[in-house]
Amino acid sequence: MPTPDDERFEAHLKQFRPLVPDPLPTEELSRAPRHSFVLRAWLAAAAAILVIGGIGLQIRSGRVAAPKTAGDAASAGQFVPLQPLTMRSANALLATAPSYKAVVDTLAFPSQTAPLTPGKQSAIAVLGKERIKL
Amino acid sequence: MSRTEGSSAEIEFLYRQHGAALLLFAMAMTGERGRAQDAVHQVFVRLIENGSLSRAADKKAYLFACVRNAVLNEGKLQNRNTPLDPDTAWFIPPDRDYAAELNLRRALGALPDDQRQVVVLHMWGELTFLQIGDLLGVSSNTVASRYRYALAKLRDEMSAKENSCANSR
Repeated sequence: MPTPDDERFEAHLKQFRPLVPDPLPTEELSRAPRHSFVLRAWLAAAAAILVIGGIGLQIRSGRVAAPKTAGDAASAGQFVPLQPLTMRSANALLATAPSYKAVVDTLAFPSQTAPLTPGKQSAIAVLGKERIKL
Repeated sequence: MSRTEGSSAEIEFLYRQHGAALLLFAMAMTGERGRAQDAVHQVFVRLIENGSLSRAADKKAYLFACVRNAVLNEGKLQNRNTPLDPDTAWFIPPDRDYAAELNLRRALGALPDDQRQVVVLHMWGELTFLQIGDLLGVSSNTVASRYRYALAKLRDEMSAKENSCANSR
């Protein structure tokens, strides 16, 4: 039979609390994949930025390498953006054009017509040749 | 939440709940905190990997049995009988009375192994004599008897130390 002294002594001993153990190694392991996931996300984002930048650069360089004359582009059947007006091109036009008005017209309304391949005719030219009987 | 995640969470909860008492029990058996910590970790990591705790009817008693087996197996492999490490604390003492903690640890260390295990399992593991009997493979009467002997020895040892400290002052 336990005596009151025993019970008091047991209560005294229970005041001593066992030390808490170190955390389980699995808790540390479960944290590691989270770190690697963040790292992978950063790497994927960096790779995506590089790819997008590369594609952008390619598009830009493709535009720079586009046909230089309207004739070249038209023969390829593509829309050609207007060439920027420079002093050099303006001087060249002024030197060759018959009049100042012609130069201004050329700059303001650049010809978008594509040269026809041999054996083909434009519809306007054919209609112009027809004699309409009234 | 999947079944594996659920059982793993339950095992981690049991670790937080009983980890301290299990570590103390392992330290009472091995005498070293490092070996005791390894044994407890080994048990819980295996339980998480295998998810075999759901089969145990009495989970707390099962955990103590697993830790005991882990310590005994490790002891067989190491083939050494280390005395209790006097420099490693086992308890957080009340009122930061570290001298009392050392006193208790020394008194526990002076007990025979079987009595020390019974005291730790009953006092801090909060297992019944019947559970301890099943765990150690002895009758509950034997456990009760060992406990009473151990308690008496602890009280004598600790009071003798306290008296000698008081006299030296």
